[in-house]
Amino acid sequence: MTALRRAVAFRPTGVLVTETLRWAATVLVGLAGFAFFVAAVGENPFDALSAMWRAAVVDPIGPGEVLVYAAPVVLAALAVAIPARAGLWNLGGEGQIAMGVVGATLASQLLPASLTSWAALPLLAIGAAIAGAIWCGVAGLLRITVNLNEAISSLLLSYVALRVLDYLVNGPWKDPGSLGIPQAEPVPSAQRLPLLDWLPVFGGGRLHAGILIALVALGVVLYVSRRTVWGFRLRVVGGNPEAARRAGLRVPLLILTAMLAGGALAGVAGFVQLTGVEGAAKGGIAGVYGFLGFLVSWLGRHDPLAILLGALVVGGIVVGGDALQIDAGLPAAAINILLALLLLAVLGRRGRTAGVEG
Amino acid sequence: MPHMRRTRTLAALVAALSIALVAAGCGDDEESGAASTAAAGSGEKTKVGFIYVGPKDDFGYNQAAYEGSEAAAANLPDIELLQAESVPEDAGAERVMERMISQGAKVLFPTSYGYLKYAQAVAAKHPDVVVVHQGGLEAEPKQPNFGTYFGTVYEPVYLAGIAAGKATTSNKLGYIVAFPIPQTLANVNAFELGAKSVNPEATTTVVFTASWCDPGKQAQAATALISGGADVLTQHQDCTKTIIETAERAGASTVGYHYDASSLAPEGWLTGSEWSWGPMYTDIITAALDGTFEGSQYDGDYRVGLQTGDNPFVQSAFGPSVTDETKAAIETAKAGLAEKGIFTGPLTDQDGKEVVPAGTTLTYDEVEQMNFLVEGVVGNIPK
Repeated sequence: MTALRRAVAFRPTGVLVTETLRWAATVLVGLAGFAFFVAAVGENPFDALSAMWRAAVVDPIGPGEVLVYAAPVVLAALAVAIPARAGLWNLGGEGQIAMGVVGATLASQLLPASLTSWAALPLLAIGAAIAGAIWCGVAGLLRITVNLNEAISSLLLSYVALRVLDYLVNGPWKDPGSLGIPQAEPVPSAQRLPLLDWLPVFGGGRLHAGILIALVALGVVLYVSRRTVWGFRLRVVGGNPEAARRAGLRVPLLILTAMLAGGALAGVAGFVQLTGVEGAAKGGIAGVYGFLGFLVSWLGRHDPLAILLGALVVGGIVVGGDALQIDAGLPAAAINILLALLLLAVLGRRGRTAGVEG
Repeated sequence: MPHMRRTRTLAALVAALSIALVAAGCGDDEESGAASTAAAGSGEKTKVGFIYVGPKDDFGYNQAAYEGSEAAAANLPDIELLQAESVPEDAGAERVMERMISQGAKVLFPTSYGYLKYAQAVAAKHPDVVVVHQGGLEAEPKQPNFGTYFGTVYEPVYLAGIAAGKATTSNKLGYIVAFPIPQTLANVNAFELGAKSVNPEATTTVVFTASWCDPGKQAQAATALISGGADVLTQHQDCTKTIIETAERAGASTVGYHYDASSLAPEGWLTGSEWSWGPMYTDIITAALDGTFEGSQYDGDYRVGLQTGDNPFVQSAFGPSVTDETKAAIETAKAGLAEKGIFTGPLTDQDGKEVVPAGTTLTYDEVEQMNFLVEGVVGNIPK
């Protein structure tokens, strides 16, 4: 929050207003493009957009569902942002989330079911973080030992991780009580994240403490990357690895720790989905959060506050997108078109203003 | 420049928040307005929600369910349908169901197997909404506003197996299956038993794709089976188009599943099995709206087959190459099915071990626990 306060303190109000208007205009361009598409398929664009709005913001469960969706996206985006500071590409978010689910489930199976939530949940989260860190760390290790591009190796390792999870839930971990559906036995109820049903506006539905975990992680990343020596060194490596080496920095160690930290955050996203939403390990639990996290992190230039905003927008579009089908009768693919148009509008603006920014 | 960037981010946050606040204010008015009109107009249509795991034009499971919902709406002019396609089998399904309820849905049809636990969670939260799940078995504790329903899929598959057994010249049939669950294993076994009943040499090679609809894997499996000598292909997938088109191009025959896709294979289409959901959907919705759902046959696990009534899973029309002799053989077998089930002993599994002793017939309930492949099926159940 220091960053926020400083931004407010040092920015003249005029710039803030202009920037706000520019952002609103960018979003409007995306929405206008979408309205055009909706009209082209013979539906009323205003009805479609207002239905989305109601589903995501006005409906009692809407705002809570947006946060439920945003929580793993924030964590997956941070998992991209930290390595990106050191100039590294973590493309394996999906697999690291899946390994987080595996790690948390393993921890759950090893712990006595009688353990209280306060004791069990942190241990599950640690299990998830370790598993995610190992998976991403392998890509980092390959990079510093045999100079294998971490973008490729983390992506390929992701497929392996998804298969490992599939194998476990179809085989050794398969719950005999699941009537043929491939999933592990549910975690005990003490190992579920508490619901935030006391929270006004957002609470009441399925909103669980995962969003708080994501916010804490965001704060930690913000602090670490701006206020610690490690965070500073990562940026030096990202800026010019050769210069960093000559300045005496231990570049391989920095690369490895950046990848480990990223993987741990993605692993925690798996923990959040397991204990907050699904309650049992299953194939497909990693969803497309890894991909969305990657997108959000790059769109926000790996800035933690921009990541929060991006994750909220993605969550809002997904939750609002339900209404495009249910209320407005548009095909399921409509939501992807809207997402793409908004991203193109944001990227287009970025491209146009890049020169000015210098 | 980092400062510039921070201003941007902050500006974006401010823009988003102010739009959100303004619109939330407007939305509240809208909401109360809508509520009062709903209360005033008693002639409002009752909403019924359908949720599909795939696209509603997949030439398969989802299209059949979608057309069933349209048929029910045609039968019941007082209902309005809420449709959602391509909804994954994860927590998102629960969100979609909640959205439909907030739109006024009183009956929900989550039509895919993996929706079961989300459907039960939604039913527990909304006692005034009837939730019926397609194909699952109700887990404990039983809920008064929840039920499952399905047809007996392997009966028409057995009959189609007869057509395949008659049509094959290589005596090799291919079966492309999604997951090894009791329902799919029962189908593979019924197909092989049907084929063997008219052609003792016929074997069925089974391939599992581990996905209800992955056209890439489907094409791969179909090509592999055909190059291995299979000249009749069938499948247990949600979307059926790719396999049927691949078979047609290669000159192999096709036995369809879920939906009449004969238009995709004008030459090779033999027959198939397809859903005729309209009557059952109509019946369930009527019970739910009359308030007679609780305690009815649908409040629980409702299964119907030729031995107990009208199976909603019916045999598809024959293709051009099917001979009158084959059609007659199928008619005879069909009459026999109502008398005596398909899985009647002695039956041996792939290892030659007796799994159903002579004189015993598996009940519908027992078939839903099936975990073996019969002799004559080539390929293993993935562990």
